[in-house]
Amino acid sequence: MRNTIQQLLNGIFIGSIYALFGLGYTLVFGLLDVLNLAHSEVFMLGAVVTYSLVALHHVPFLLAVPLGIVAGGLLGLVIEFVALRPLRRRGAPPIAALISTIGLALILVALIEQAKRGSALAWLWRDGANDVQFPAGKVPDRIWHLAGLTLPVDKLAIVVITVALMAVLAYVMAKTPAGRAVRAVAENPRAAQLLGVNVDRVITITLVVSSALAALAGILFALALNDISPYIGRDQVELRGLAVIVLGGMGSIPGTFIGGFTLGLLESVTILTLGTDVRAVGFVALFVMLILRPSGLLGRQTSERV
Amino acid sequence: MRTTSRIRWWGTAGIAVAVISVAACGSSSKTSSSNSNKGKTLKLGAVFSLTGAGGVYGPQQQQAVKLAEETTNASGGVDGANLSIQVVDDASNQTQAAQQTQTLIQQNQVTALLGPTLSNSAVAAHPIADNLKTPMLAVSTTGLNIVGTCPYPCTYIFRDSLGEATAIPTNIKTYVASANPKPKTGVLLYPNDDKFSVDGATAVKQTVTDPAVGIQLLDTIQFSKSDADLTQFVNQGVSKHPDVIFITSLGGIPAKIMTAARQQGFTGQFLGGNGFNSAAVSKQAANFGKGAQSASAWYLGNDFASNAEFVKAFKAKYGTDPDQFAAQAYTGVLILVDAAKRAKLTYTDLPGDRQKLRTAMESTNIQTPLGPFQFTSTHDVHQTIWVIAMDGQGGFTLVTSVKPS
Repeated sequence: MRNTIQQLLNGIFIGSIYALFGLGYTLVFGLLDVLNLAHSEVFMLGAVVTYSLVALHHVPFLLAVPLGIVAGGLLGLVIEFVALRPLRRRGAPPIAALISTIGLALILVALIEQAKRGSALAWLWRDGANDVQFPAGKVPDRIWHLAGLTLPVDKLAIVVITVALMAVLAYVMAKTPAGRAVRAVAENPRAAQLLGVNVDRVITITLVVSSALAALAGILFALALNDISPYIGRDQVELRGLAVIVLGGMGSIPGTFIGGFTLGLLESVTILTLGTDVRAVGFVALFVMLILRPSGLLGRQTSERV
Repeated sequence: MRTTSRIRWWGTAGIAVAVISVAACGSSSKTSSSNSNKGKTLKLGAVFSLTGAGGVYGPQQQQAVKLAEETTNASGGVDGANLSIQVVDDASNQTQAAQQTQTLIQQNQVTALLGPTLSNSAVAAHPIADNLKTPMLAVSTTGLNIVGTCPYPCTYIFRDSLGEATAIPTNIKTYVASANPKPKTGVLLYPNDDKFSVDGATAVKQTVTDPAVGIQLLDTIQFSKSDADLTQFVNQGVSKHPDVIFITSLGGIPAKIMTAARQQGFTGQFLGGNGFNSAAVSKQAANFGKGAQSASAWYLGNDFASNAEFVKAFKAKYGTDPDQFAAQAYTGVLILVDAAKRAKLTYTDLPGDRQKLRTAMESTNIQTPLGPFQFTSTHDVHQTIWVIAMDGQGGFTLVTSVKPS
């Protein structure tokens, strides 16, 4: 019984990271109909910048976290101005934007994996392709043991932060002028522009917020799983992040939230019931979802207009 | 009596003259041969994973072969010939490893190669080198069927990296022999999408059934190397209350498992393979990994001359201690240079030189940072095995050494 509860808790912990990562994905997709595949590299860089500040420059963790988030937001600007806006101006199809974000992602990974002692980027990262972790004693690492259960405080904090951010984002999107502007652009950019909405500004701000969320997810991932490397975004969350937004409904914030926790819990329940030999059950569920309800759990059913 | 004494005197004098003559001959031939290749170049290639998943190991290998190249050239080269090693990146990708190997052999005309870094890549690159009759020395691939029983002739393939099939049984048996109380149960954790890890797991499964070991595997837990959170898998293992957790994996995975297991209250022993033998892994595991034991091809603290000099030179050049991957890559260059000196290469007949080098490599018997080194008849490692344990502070302590059988 204790093992069952522990595994369900593990599912909730990892599900909250999937949800937080997926929120940024879904924001951009909901607005532009474009998958920003550099999102996983912003996730990685959020962790790398925060690690660098704490481990190499001795900045207190609680100050390094907002700086890491700001770095993520700035990278969102880079994605918009380098990979997306030039293509949008030329009326390029969404696939072109997808490819350009893949290109940017590859460049970002290559920059970090080549950063070593003595290199130009050694101030940011000096461990090449190695896995590193935050130095002990400089980050919160307390673990509570309750009724035989292991409860790492950082993982509990991630769940709280994810739920809070989801609530704030849902409120902003539904009730504020900024949210209305985003929804207007998502619905019809031309009509929104005619109504006085600065479309480029809305897109830029959305990318900054989305990237800041990715950076925060990366920082929390690195903290909770004790793992920072150039590949944490690409190898460990990118595919699952995509699964989460498809499962929850592309473009739906509550859907992404539910999708994240569903995937995390599904993985845990699979281990509990079917053992560790059965793999990729989450992706089987995704496949089933795509067949039965292509719009996802909370996505809107759309019909092609001709 | 006098006759006997005279015979003995002449005998002794004769032997002395013979020894001096042989020594003089040897010395002159050495002198002449040490400069005989002046103006020529021995071209070697190295296929390493400088980026991608194997990028954790490739850069140290590159540093080590460049150091070996410098040291060799500074001490007269290969009997006067300049040593030139071209290092290429296979990006931890099987296809690229194969392409780079073919390019180095056919386009760059190297006499022999080192690498690739990963067993996954070796299964694609080695058959190409073998087919093109070019010696290729694996310096970090420890999986099964790399040498010996390969699915192709592999007559030109050698290995100086201690295979998991040797390292893991040695480690487990050494631990069981000294443990008190004897471990009775174990759980095995490994990623099932990586050849190195799967081969290591096979070695564990075979070893625990040995009557001399007698450990019952309570569970075999497989996961993917891309799984974000291993806590769930570790949880399953710890919940079985094993005496030992076996981990066969590379990179950050062993450290993640050790950390999660200790946090969940596991107090038993961690046993593993070559994946443990990296300062990065020991550093990442920190106190959670203290005592984690593995059998290694190399130990930093060995103070015999061939290792001490290597460690000193590496530290002086790069400002950091070498690791096992660097030591094996450095040893790889020493083996090829030694064989090239004995093979009397022509430097004009490349296929003939490759053949001569291969033959000379088979009779390797030199001092290296790994200790005295020879190849077995199947071109595998014949060396002392160093059983080491993580010290909880990013380093290792020597538990014992096991002579080759």
